[in-house]
Amino acid sequence: MEPSREGAASDRDLMARMARGDREALAPLMERHYRRLYRIALAYLRSPDDALDVVQEAFVKAWESASRWDGSAEAGPWLSRIAVNQSIDRWRRNRRRSATFTPLAEDDHDRALADGGDSPDRGVAGRETRERLARALRTLPERQRAVVVLRHYQDLSLEEIAQTLGMSLGTVKSSLHRALHRMREGLQGAVPR
Amino acid sequence: MILAHLRLRRRVSLLAAGVLEGRERAQALAHLEACGRCGEEYRELVALVRVMEADPARSAEPGVPLALLVERVEREVDRALLTPRGRPRLWLVAVPAAAVLAVAAIVPSVVARFRPRPIASSASIPAAAPAVPDAVLDRLERNVARAQAARYLSQAGDVLVAVAATSDDCDRGAGTVDVGEAPHRSRQLLARRALVVDAGGEAVASARGVLDDVEHALREVAELPSCVRRHDVARVRQQVERERLLMRIRLMTRELEG
Repeated sequence: MEPSREGAASDRDLMARMARGDREALAPLMERHYRRLYRIALAYLRSPDDALDVVQEAFVKAWESASRWDGSAEAGPWLSRIAVNQSIDRWRRNRRRSATFTPLAEDDHDRALADGGDSPDRGVAGRETRERLARALRTLPERQRAVVVLRHYQDLSLEEIAQTLGMSLGTVKSSLHRALHRMREGLQGAVPR
Repeated sequence: MILAHLRLRRRVSLLAAGVLEGRERAQALAHLEACGRCGEEYRELVALVRVMEADPARSAEPGVPLALLVERVEREVDRALLTPRGRPRLWLVAVPAAAVLAVAAIVPSVVARFRPRPIASSASIPAAAPAVPDAVLDRLERNVARAQAARYLSQAGDVLVAVAATSDDCDRGAGTVDVGEAPHRSRQLLARRALVVDAGGEAVASARGVLDDVEHALREVAELPSCVRRHDVARVRQQVERERLLMRIRLMTRELEG
């Protein structure tokens, strides 16, 4: 690998190289996007292990689908869309599995995520709020949750969300409105104002 | 009137989400002045948005170094290249096949139980036994057990590499490093260990030595806090190096995967 050359290559170049079967293009593309995809998956699934698996699956999928990538589109939103779809798949698989086996308690994941970031005096209250936030996110329908994740964990605009998820702008607006109200009801009394 | 209120209520949500501009924003703000209920909802929504903005998931770092992640993806890509398109992986075949064979084995005996028995005669030929060789079922079970053990070892290897490779200072100051999710992931893996080792039985017997050493190392990591002194990380690293654990994990994973 040539770091200087990879540093100059655009996402489009890298995607085009991947489409031609150039495996060397994978690492620089991953370096640019893996954190973002990880955070999308983590916010969606609330499990660091599952989020890592989703990142891995998303890049394998990107590799497999590179030849079908529309060269005029941005690679970033395309990768985000793959990560969201993989997260939804993983979520469904986990739900099916938990109906069959005793799952690793979802609360464990919430707790693991909720543990970081607070000073000791704010720790307990903050942790409880984040655990309830995780539960409120989990109650959302799949697409609504994806809209919330892209807006409030990735700071995307409504137009970018619509582009990423392949939804109309109106659907994104109503999904965000419904999701926020549903979460507000789920967190009633837990959120400091 | 009600419709206008509902439309403005949606705008109030979008205002709280920080995505409203221009005339729509001005209309939503004016509505907040006039509608006490929407004002209350708006304040709750803004508080909710703040909680999300403070969520550690927004800035979380993957618990595995990039190089390792790239290696894992490349391994999967290689595997995909070697596997003819549309051909499912071994376990995808093995598990349903085992289920079908098991059903095939059970159904005839259930049917036979409820079927009126013919009067036995010395000339009657005994019905053939269900044609499901135990050896086939055993082989499928063995393959599944070995695949599970290989996955467990591979994930354990990732955790140990993540700990050994960590060098990020944590907030507590000099001499400490942040091992992130590694202790939590170790505990999760240890919880799965019994399933892999005990249920695996003879199928994973050859991996027992590596599995035991991996368990020992994972227990060390599981005991660590996320912010840990450098020499504690060094101790784990030395143990991993002394026992050549990563190399043994890699070799054993390959052997289990066949």
